[in-house]
Amino acid sequence: MSLSALIALVLGLCLTAYAILAGADFGAGILDLTAGRHSSERGALARTIGPLWEANHVWLIFSITILFSVFPTAFAALGTAMLAPLTVALIALVVRGAALSLRADPAGATRSESLLGWAFGAGSVTAPFVFGACAGAVAQISSSGRGAAGATGVAGVPWTGVFAGTVGLLAVALCAHVAACFMSFRSSRAREELAARFRRRGLQTGAAVLALGLLALLAASWKAPALWHRLSTTALPLVVVGTVAAGLSVQALARRRYLVARWASMVAAGAVVWGWFIAQSPRLLGSRLTIHTAAASPAVLSALAIAGAVVLLAVLPAFYLLYALFRRPSLEVTQ
Amino acid sequence: MSGHLTAGRAQMGTSLSFHLFFAVLGVGLPLMMLVAEGMHLRTGEPTWRALARRWSKVFAILFAVGAASGTIISFELGLLWPRFMAFAGGVIGLPFSLEGAAFFIEAVFVGIYLYGWDRLSPRLHWLSGIPIVISSAASAFFIVTANAWMNVPRGFSLVHGRVTHVNVLAAMFNPAWATETSHMVLGAYLATTFGVAAVYAVGMLRGRRDAYHRKAIALALSVAAILAPLQMGVGDLLGRTVAKNQPAKLAAIEGVTHTERGAGLNIGGIPLPGHAAGVLNVKLPHLLSVLAFDRPNASVRGLSTFPRANRTPLAGPVRLAFIGMIGIGTGLVGLSVWYWLRRRRTGPGPEDRITLLALAGAGPLAFLANELGWLVSEFGRQPWIVYGVFRTSSAITTAPGLGATFTAFTLLYLGLSSVTLWGVRRVSTGSPDHLPRPSLSVALR
Repeated sequence: MSLSALIALVLGLCLTAYAILAGADFGAGILDLTAGRHSSERGALARTIGPLWEANHVWLIFSITILFSVFPTAFAALGTAMLAPLTVALIALVVRGAALSLRADPAGATRSESLLGWAFGAGSVTAPFVFGACAGAVAQISSSGRGAAGATGVAGVPWTGVFAGTVGLLAVALCAHVAACFMSFRSSRAREELAARFRRRGLQTGAAVLALGLLALLAASWKAPALWHRLSTTALPLVVVGTVAAGLSVQALARRRYLVARWASMVAAGAVVWGWFIAQSPRLLGSRLTIHTAAASPAVLSALAIAGAVVLLAVLPAFYLLYALFRRPSLEVTQ
Repeated sequence: MSGHLTAGRAQMGTSLSFHLFFAVLGVGLPLMMLVAEGMHLRTGEPTWRALARRWSKVFAILFAVGAASGTIISFELGLLWPRFMAFAGGVIGLPFSLEGAAFFIEAVFVGIYLYGWDRLSPRLHWLSGIPIVISSAASAFFIVTANAWMNVPRGFSLVHGRVTHVNVLAAMFNPAWATETSHMVLGAYLATTFGVAAVYAVGMLRGRRDAYHRKAIALALSVAAILAPLQMGVGDLLGRTVAKNQPAKLAAIEGVTHTERGAGLNIGGIPLPGHAAGVLNVKLPHLLSVLAFDRPNASVRGLSTFPRANRTPLAGPVRLAFIGMIGIGTGLVGLSVWYWLRRRRTGPGPEDRITLLALAGAGPLAFLANELGWLVSEFGRQPWIVYGVFRTSSAITTAPGLGATFTAFTLLYLGLSSVTLWGVRRVSTGSPDHLPRPSLSVALR
């Protein structure tokens, strides 16, 4: 395996970590938005993601950094082609982060609290939708033979297309489902009634994941035949794993086996991400920018690979420490 | 096309100056929290703990907004300057990756620190603040080495417009790394200390003259007294770095129009349209040559000797920003000296109206000095995005619609500024926690 392929693999892992962990944070915002008058759900969601979401967000920064230092031309092309949707996603990220940190009392009923809660929820829906749509569009144009207008221009990335929209909705549903499974497991030991509520929402979102996954495959076969071809051949194992995991997570929730549901939902999310990578590999964006043609010089790659290894050795124990410390919910509100 | 470039530059400039405010506090406040909490561990005095807790609540908001605005910038590098990133991404990838790691560790320990007040022992909680202080300074350090590279690019060769022979370490440790990074980190600490002092000076002006306010001001000005003189020295060294590597920038900064042997230092010399020389200028003979090159008769090249295409079109604003930064910096050093001279004589520190008003004004000015310093660095480097190598006009994206994105982000920043101000005021007003006497303290106004 070449060094650029190895780094692409690490980039994939970072994006997967972002999709699952920050995805669950987005999901918490989506569940918060749709919690109705159940303020106990809001409180539990806010306490759970409070200490974790900032660290989860850094996986995105990592991915961006790897992309622009190792595949600079692909980063340039992505930024040029995706100026509009990525601007929307950025604004959504900022709005939800600021609203979450400003909200003093998630269960509060005052006007300012509900406005902040609404902004947190709206940003949490928008960000994964746009990221999902961008990923779908990149997959669609990269698997087709089109989109090769030089180093810094990939024209006509179809991020407003039917397929992209379906993938965006699938991303939203997956985020909400992962969050619901996680929350029902977390509250199952101490607060059975809360776990039951998150279980119900996990079942609803799980059904949405299955339906939208099917729709996305249909949309691919209809609008993106080249991608459909890859999905039904090279990436078929991941399509199968994703479908089975999503089904398993719904079934486990139905039988109140929360731990199984939590892991299965995470596997389903990871399978969607890796299905995307495999379906368009080795292409990064369009037909010309691949992990080989867009890579920086070998000297840069080896220097960054060494730095990356050191960085991961430093970061992973800290990340584990954070999750270990906040594994169990504290019943009192720590403010 | 020039409107396109202006919109792109305006969006980047707005994003950076917005982010800088939060970045400065993100580097500075952890140090202040750590010192205050450490004082509590040492003395058992509950006021210190109350201060640390109050600051940690403010920090929680500022860190979230700062992390978000930093994310915007890392995307904007590709959204606005894709050709620059395609050119330079590999060369400056190392400091950005390391910054990612530092930010990661910071985010982890921020989670632990903010949510661990009741989960960890007091000592362990204090210890969990140390990685925040280190990694936030390290983040600033790594990012500024990348900017130093844009000023003094090293560690690559240019063959037919393509970057080859990249040495990422030589690029990161370019000749400007040491001075530029220390100037930024010290600037962040200083702005935070004067900002904190200003907040509590306003509280005292409103009549809240209690131990809580006194301790906050004393702590802030103690840190400032140590760092302010250091910053002057580092600023001087940075000036020499610029003199050696960016002669056109030096000429714009110091207001040198024509080449001079034994150049004098211009004090004042405000650039006004319609005046060939600066207005209200006092020239100290030979001093600029001494400061920049250590020789009283050294020659300082004037701005007019550079081809028009290779010198900054913003020489006036560069000079103005530089005068502002130096003026504020000198004033801050003077204020801290004044405070400590007066304090020794009267015991608990001067609390007269004039001193408090000066402190209240010094806070915003210290932040302004940081912003002005970046204007000097960025405006002074134009028309280059990478000094002498790559022009800003060649780096801008070819995608249309920058007017719309600039408008959207400007509105976002205006909205964010006002809700952040509202949120910070909300967590910082009211009586501090864990203090026996309920005092109606208005901490941040």
